[in-house]
Amino acid sequence: MEPQTSQTITVTVNGETYEREVEARRLLIHFIRDDLDLTGSHVGCDTGNCGACSVIYNGQLVKSCMLLAVQADGARIETVEGLAPEDGKLHALQQSFSDHHALQCGYCTPGMLMSAKALLDANPSASEEEIRKGLQGNICRCTGYWNIIDAVKAVAR
Amino acid sequence: MTETLSPAQPLVVEEGEEQRGFAGTNVPRKEDKRLVQGQGVYFDDVKRHGMGYAHFVRSPYAHANITSIDVSKAEALEGVYGTLIGEEVAALTDPFFQLATPPGAHIKDYALAVGKVRHVGEPVAIVVAATRELARDAADLVEVDYEPLGAVTDARRALDPETPVLHEEAGSNLSWEGVYEWGDVEGAFAEADHVVKISELHFDRFNSTPLECDGAVVEYNRGTGQWTIHTNNQFPGFAAIMMGPAMRTGLDKLRFVTQDIGGGFGNKITSHPQLVACCLLARKLHRPINWTEWRTEFHLTMSHGNERWFLDTEVAVKADGTLLGFRTKALDDAGAFLRYEPLGGVIWAQVTPGCYRWRNVRLDFTQVVTNKAPCSPNRGYSRMQHLWFTERMIDIVAHELGLDPVEVRKKNYVKAEEMPYTTPNGCVYDSGDYARMLDVALELIGYEGLAERRADAESRGKLFGFGIGSTLDSGTNNFGQSRLINPELQFSGNNEVATVKLDIFGEIVVTLGTTPQGQSHETTAAIVVADILGVTPDDVNVRAGHDTYWNSHAGFSGTYASQFAVTGLGAVKGAAEKLAGEIKKLGSVILGCPESELELADGFVRMKANAEAALPLMACGAIINANNAGLPEDLDVTLNARYVYRPPFELPDVERKYGNLTLTYAAQVHAALVEVDPETGVYEIVQYAAIDDCGKRIHPQIVEGQVMGATAHALGAATHETFTYDAEGNLLTPNFYDYHVPHAMDMPPLKTGYIESPSPFTALGTKGMGEGGGAGIHAVCAALQDALAPRGRPVVYDSCNPYHRVWELLQDPEASRRRVEVISK
Amino acid sequence: MLLREVEYVRPSSLDEALRLLAADDGARPLAGGQTLLNVMKARAAAPDVLVDLNAIEELKGIDLAPNGTLTIGAMTTYTELLEAAETKARPILGEVAATIADVQVRNRGTIGGNVCSNDPTNHLPPLMVALGAEMVIAGADAERTVKAEDFFLGVYLTAAGPGEVLTKIRIPAGRSDGFAAVTIGADGTCIVNAAASLNGEARVAIGCVAAVPVLIRPGGRDADAVRDAVRGADLDPPSDVHASGEYRRHLAEVVAARAIEQASARS
Repeated sequence: MEPQTSQTITVTVNGETYEREVEARRLLIHFIRDDLDLTGSHVGCDTGNCGACSVIYNGQLVKSCMLLAVQADGARIETVEGLAPEDGKLHALQQSFSDHHALQCGYCTPGMLMSAKALLDANPSASEEEIRKGLQGNICRCTGYWNIIDAVKAVAR
Repeated sequence: MTETLSPAQPLVVEEGEEQRGFAGTNVPRKEDKRLVQGQGVYFDDVKRHGMGYAHFVRSPYAHANITSIDVSKAEALEGVYGTLIGEEVAALTDPFFQLATPPGAHIKDYALAVGKVRHVGEPVAIVVAATRELARDAADLVEVDYEPLGAVTDARRALDPETPVLHEEAGSNLSWEGVYEWGDVEGAFAEADHVVKISELHFDRFNSTPLECDGAVVEYNRGTGQWTIHTNNQFPGFAAIMMGPAMRTGLDKLRFVTQDIGGGFGNKITSHPQLVACCLLARKLHRPINWTEWRTEFHLTMSHGNERWFLDTEVAVKADGTLLGFRTKALDDAGAFLRYEPLGGVIWAQVTPGCYRWRNVRLDFTQVVTNKAPCSPNRGYSRMQHLWFTERMIDIVAHELGLDPVEVRKKNYVKAEEMPYTTPNGCVYDSGDYARMLDVALELIGYEGLAERRADAESRGKLFGFGIGSTLDSGTNNFGQSRLINPELQFSGNNEVATVKLDIFGEIVVTLGTTPQGQSHETTAAIVVADILGVTPDDVNVRAGHDTYWNSHAGFSGTYASQFAVTGLGAVKGAAEKLAGEIKKLGSVILGCPESELELADGFVRMKANAEAALPLMACGAIINANNAGLPEDLDVTLNARYVYRPPFELPDVERKYGNLTLTYAAQVHAALVEVDPETGVYEIVQYAAIDDCGKRIHPQIVEGQVMGATAHALGAATHETFTYDAEGNLLTPNFYDYHVPHAMDMPPLKTGYIESPSPFTALGTKGMGEGGGAGIHAVCAALQDALAPRGRPVVYDSCNPYHRVWELLQDPEASRRRVEVISK
Repeated sequence: MLLREVEYVRPSSLDEALRLLAADDGARPLAGGQTLLNVMKARAAAPDVLVDLNAIEELKGIDLAPNGTLTIGAMTTYTELLEAAETKARPILGEVAATIADVQVRNRGTIGGNVCSNDPTNHLPPLMVALGAEMVIAGADAERTVKAEDFFLGVYLTAAGPGEVLTKIRIPAGRSDGFAAVTIGADGTCIVNAAASLNGEARVAIGCVAAVPVLIRPGGRDADAVRDAVRGADLDPPSDVHASGEYRRHLAEVVAARAIEQASARS
């Protein structure tokens, strides 16, 4: 294998497999949003601080602006678009976010939901402190986090 | 982790009025279903065939002449569609209209720098290419030669003779100045037993950094000469009147479209220069243009909150703590351009005496330009600075005179029985009970048990402090106040519009003129419409977002300045009532009875006396739209109602700078407890209470969400958020690494509380709200000052107190104390 | 965002990685990428080739020897560091790893990346110095071992030079460790940090005050002795928007004493 400026990758996102040619320099978030047209994940910073681009990558929460798309060759990725079950209902976290008014503008929400899901997948009965710690990598500028923490806590019970 | 305290009954209930319908209940938010599924449509989710990506070339210098720009290498790169530079902009557009009188009026501001740059990050050229990455590659190839000039970053030096001048055409760095004086200031000081002098206070530069940065997708229709601008600009009405004349085009050629916006907080009002540049590029390159602003670009260039100094302040106080008056010199740092300024020079006057009965006030306002990013509205725009200042005066006076800050507040607050209260400058506080709010705050913060908490903290080696912030959230601007800064301006009053229609299959469709960024307009509008039409909010389809081609757009349309609950919902109410009237009119023809005998309920227009005699709304929609033969010729019913709400404003008196500048005054009282580590200056907010009164709450949960969000902004601004520049004009906090916003682990335990003092001046008893964050900035300052008092009584003089500043106060309390002097008779 | 053009390759063995790194002066190893990709987004760095180390098994894994020595693969993530059973033998490792940034960064960021980037605000460089860690570096020809206190050479500069890869870190046995920091907000960027170890001689390494961690060997374990020793080091820390040099110098004394105090409590 020799270095290349672009390559063809195969990625499974929300159960669907995509094969695309992508430049090596393209960040995973741009690949997801611009190449795959899955625009639920967002970009809120350019330094890996905000977490709006958080996705679950091979079972682990990551910021998709902190990986190259080519690194994801062969990866399984879950984004907010795959969160709700197919029967038209919302995922418990999505419903709880709405019930607790845990979102206003909604821009951080997809990343926040993925962080909450990763947390509860690993620790279904997370405490308030664990929830805060689990959401530390996601910036919300609307809510002050209080309602988000309450929303996750309600599902954690 | 949060507790809410609300009185069982609103404080004021109009006689004979009975609560009914959905108003006041927490119905599910209509916006949520799409947003929690990632199905929102933000501007950057809009894609068009052949779209090119714009990347800005930005100045690395704070102040420099541009001697040449060469785009040839950029244009030669494969995949590059074209470029735009300042010279083209100067040829194709006129400078933006300036709100200021001279000297600010002489400033020439274009979409791109023309001949000179005045702050780091100022756009100099734009490159458009097939991909985002390529556009940046090409931008790196644009060669710009600069001749660096000296920079000014300290407003206090801006008018010194040796300081470089940013805009030569303005003659100096002065952009606007004005003197405000009301009451008998000399008399007040003559009457005072104590004069407390404060030489310098500083309100720091920050903004609320919405998570989504600015941007647009702009299309140009060559056949019609019309631009479609998919953008997150939050005040298209203002953008249009800035852009149209500059672009030499009619405003109807500028179609603004918005669905979802990722937060705004005022920061997305002044993107008109960038939008003009995108429009020029869309026309020049014959293709849609995507402009996505990145975080560092936002920090470097967009909408910093006004930085303000308060110099040579004097407060006149009676021996019993009665506040008679104050005078000060406000020095406002506008940054490099006046994008919305100098409106900050008057907006503060909406809340001239804060929550207090100060009757004698003089404020000399001077605004200067500096080599920093331009200022524009930021949540609490211009009032927050002034309210922080009024609160700082209260606590400094209390501490210096040995008075209790709680008692000084209670003694001097405007009282509930004085409402509506006319301030010294003619503003009318509509309703409220600030002392009662303070009592609720004290209860929630555990005021009775403070001594034990203090002792406990001290036993752990911590300094303990308690502080209050009490502020106003003035909403629904009278744009006539702009005449106080420029009497020639032809703005006054305000308006907002909504349409409500009943379609052929009975669908109720609402369109708004507003551009919400999380304020839940779809939900609250649906509640108001549902209650009037006798349906449920689920039956009401409020179109998401804003589109100037929907014909629901008025001159001041947008979402800013705490006004939706008054202007937006006022328009919705007006349109819904108009529609209800038309439905009854039609019902009276079909059912053959007078309109007065009809009511709207359960999805029907029906006879009050006989619910069986009823016409479903669906039938009404079908009759008017598709089955209207035989209806009386004079039946003026379209079932498509448009209503423009116009608040009752008069022109202010320009000479006296007197008049009612806003319609409603929501109020906040916040209280904070802090524990400071005396060894390091590190501190923690260990308990927090936020009390809000915004009159009638249509949806209490949404109101609480706004209170929480404003509180979080306040805590960020009070602790770490600062746009700090070095002497050369480099921004030291250009990203979220160095500009630390609060994260989940930073939030203190919060209790919220409410009282409801309905506004007597609004259609629904509501008040605009959402900007009450200034209270929190002060609550933290006051708590710090209280905590540090045992260590030499330092004076908290800055709105932002990161750990290093607290440590400096601990190290050298005398340095801060030299700012304060008390002269007693 | 928007990186310069770069070539990318993901070798599956260390030898292959070393060959690729040797083949191009502009090649750089890509570990967790939580620093490097950010630097590339700002276009402050623009390597010609990224040699992704994520597929190299021999750089992963944690081994606990009978004598208590931990050998940690350079590509061990912070999450693995704080979750692995082996690292409980030296609890400070997991405790500090748990405070680095956030879950997302901890899931990707690696111990090797953290020390090799040697950003002066990083947590692990002072910790490695205090614990007396040894860094194992593989080059095209040979492997060598460098003491942590000799490993850090400058900002973004370490003994693992061009064409080399840090493969593992050896940490001797011990439990009497401490770590203290003043951060911008909870778990935020460090303003000053210090790691201490009292296993044998007293060692305290201070971060954020110089280009590399400053190792101090105080004469005593009480706060005054530690603070005296820090004062004696004549630190000349940088000033920035978060702290003046003077404030950092003061904080260095405080956090050094606190780190030692924590370590003492575990003696």
